[in-house]
Amino acid sequence: MKILATYSIKGGVGKTTSAVNLAHSAALQGARVLVWDLDPQGAATFFFRVKPKLKGGSGRLVGAKGALAAHVRATDLPGLHLVPADFSLRHLDLHLDGRKRPTERLASLLDAVADNYDVAILDCPPSISLASESVFGAAHELLVPVVPTTLSSRTLGQLADFLEGGTGEGDPPGLLPYLSMVDRRKRLHRELGDSLRVEWPGLLATAIPSASVIERMGPERAAVATFAPSAPAARAFRDLWVEVAARLWA
Amino acid sequence: MSVQPSPGTDKVLAALEKGGFELGPERSLRRTMLDTFDGRLHGAGLRLELREAPGRELTLSGGGPAAAHVAVAAVPRVASDLPVGPVRLRLSPVLDVRALLPTVSVTTRQRVAVRRDKLGKALVSVTVHDGVAIADRTSSELVGLVVEVDELTGYAKAAESAQSLLETVGLRALDTDLMGFVAAAAGIDLRGHRASPTVVLDRREPSLEAFRRVLANLAGEIDANWEGTVDDVDPEFLHDLRVAVRRTRSVLAQGKGVLPVETRSSFRAGFGWLGGATGPARDLDVYVIEWDTYVGPLGADVATALEPLVRHVTQRRRDEHAALSALLRTARYHELIAAWHGWLASPVAEPDSRADAVRPIGKVAARRITKANDQLVARGRRIGPHTPAEELHELRKDAKKLRYLLECFGALLPAGERKSFVQRLKALQDNLGEHQDTEVHAVQLRAMSHDLHDAGDVGPDTLVAIGQLAGEFERRRAAARAEFAEHFAAYDTVATRRTFEALTESATRG
Repeated sequence: MKILATYSIKGGVGKTTSAVNLAHSAALQGARVLVWDLDPQGAATFFFRVKPKLKGGSGRLVGAKGALAAHVRATDLPGLHLVPADFSLRHLDLHLDGRKRPTERLASLLDAVADNYDVAILDCPPSISLASESVFGAAHELLVPVVPTTLSSRTLGQLADFLEGGTGEGDPPGLLPYLSMVDRRKRLHRELGDSLRVEWPGLLATAIPSASVIERMGPERAAVATFAPSAPAARAFRDLWVEVAARLWA
Repeated sequence: MSVQPSPGTDKVLAALEKGGFELGPERSLRRTMLDTFDGRLHGAGLRLELREAPGRELTLSGGGPAAAHVAVAAVPRVASDLPVGPVRLRLSPVLDVRALLPTVSVTTRQRVAVRRDKLGKALVSVTVHDGVAIADRTSSELVGLVVEVDELTGYAKAAESAQSLLETVGLRALDTDLMGFVAAAAGIDLRGHRASPTVVLDRREPSLEAFRRVLANLAGEIDANWEGTVDDVDPEFLHDLRVAVRRTRSVLAQGKGVLPVETRSSFRAGFGWLGGATGPARDLDVYVIEWDTYVGPLGADVATALEPLVRHVTQRRRDEHAALSALLRTARYHELIAAWHGWLASPVAEPDSRADAVRPIGKVAARRITKANDQLVARGRRIGPHTPAEELHELRKDAKKLRYLLECFGALLPAGERKSFVQRLKALQDNLGEHQDTEVHAVQLRAMSHDLHDAGDVGPDTLVAIGQLAGEFERRRAAARAEFAEHFAAYDTVATRRTFEALTESATRG
């Protein structure tokens, strides 16, 4: 099982919409996908229409007897499962901190379901915390949405530096940054996008547009491809998944 | 899943609607289970299903709670036809070179009913199949109504309540799904073709009877693989047919004093002809199967330069298979097989009471196995660094002969000792196989490079690359030859002898 995490230090950059839409594309292309919603806001859980409830809360989930499989829910798309979030995840750092090797806990929970899925996508809350470090300890690749703003390159640089500094046992995850919420009509977006590509040659080729159809995911409570399959944004998420999949299964 | 007879479709649909299910539209669908001839996917706990309605979708279930779904443009035949991604990654090591074949195919008119919670999330899905029929058969509908309850992970209670609802309208639960039910009803064994050279034997029974049973089992294997070989479905059909022929020849060779002289001699000649005829196509199959391992170490540029050779090998393989298909359809082949089945089925004249034919198979088999091993050990000990390669090829034949005896008369031998002994023998065989295969391929490569040169469609890069490939064959051959002494020494040990003695002693007891 390949483990991806949509991650950014900044909030509101399209992490959750990416996690939901990429998971959808992955399932349609033959992957067995597990989305793990780690954000106490539970936005991914909301989009999949799953009840935001972790039986026993996040404390039991990451506790000694916790097991991911007990919390898994099938979504309405065959092949796509979800571990929902609830508000108890706001204490995730605290629960992890009480454990011996906190940064390895998420990896060991995922390891127990590794034969059941081809890909796990972890949807993370913003910030760098103990939970984030546990995500870095579990993930093979971090999918990092980068909004073309002047501060984006600096934020991405901070993350790269942090990972380079080591994340505990094992190799740090790879970075897969991509442009997100791009408005091609704005000259500044075009210019910043171009300069980011020069500065970060590893930036994925696909850019996710800023589109009202993505905002419609809220009222529709579904991935874009389910209600607007031919929209440019739906195509962009499909293309982005193809790029990511090529890295995973080259 | 539930099956009629009691209610009609309308009654079931009405009950579902009343129970809060949304009914989807009716649509016709063809569902086909795909597996290899020998049921590899079933054996690995996997289920691959093609759904056509009219687009094509593959569903791979088993190995966890989530099934994988992927759209395909055409029905996949081999692993490389599958879309690049996790489905192919999971199936490739299981399928290896085997082709996917339809095992059971049904047509159905179905309606999907879904019960949702207040957020609109599906809790359970029920598929009502009306008019299920086995596809491509003239028989009419197999069953009037089949209902499948699809339990969604994390929503077990909803599935239980759907099951109860269906039971209230008179449906009864089965412990299989639609395809499993249809396969059982149609008498299709989802385990696929199961083959073993080992048949049940009693060590006290007369040897003639035991030999005939072993040979009849092998004749069945030849028949089972005939069609797949003729149609060139995948290389395993020819491989298995060829192995069955070789085992037959080996058992016939060991049948001196057991089988009637005339019969033995005539069928040894017949199967000798058949074995020889299957060789060229199999050699080219091996070439194609092993191509990546041969060329991989040489790098991408050499692989590109060798493309004309790949085309030539592919064409030659096609030609050899066409020739073999024609041969397997000839009167000579059919007469040989018919005569063989005739002899195996007919009563034989009372054998000479002094011959091995009436002696207990346990003693006779143990003696022949011992002789085969003695011959192998004696020849192996004579081989030194400068012994001609032909002697190693002869040793490989000795090893095969011994292996076939151990397999065909395996029922007489204790399983533990047999497994342990065969492991030792196999290590030696692998070394001898590598030595001979690389030599054969080098010879073929020379012949093919001449063909290509004569045809005039080969550039200098290709000729250089062929030289590099020939060098790679030679390197591997030389390495195998250098390692032979070590492999033989590992076989020719006190421990092997002890295992062997325990093996044969047990066959003669009682």
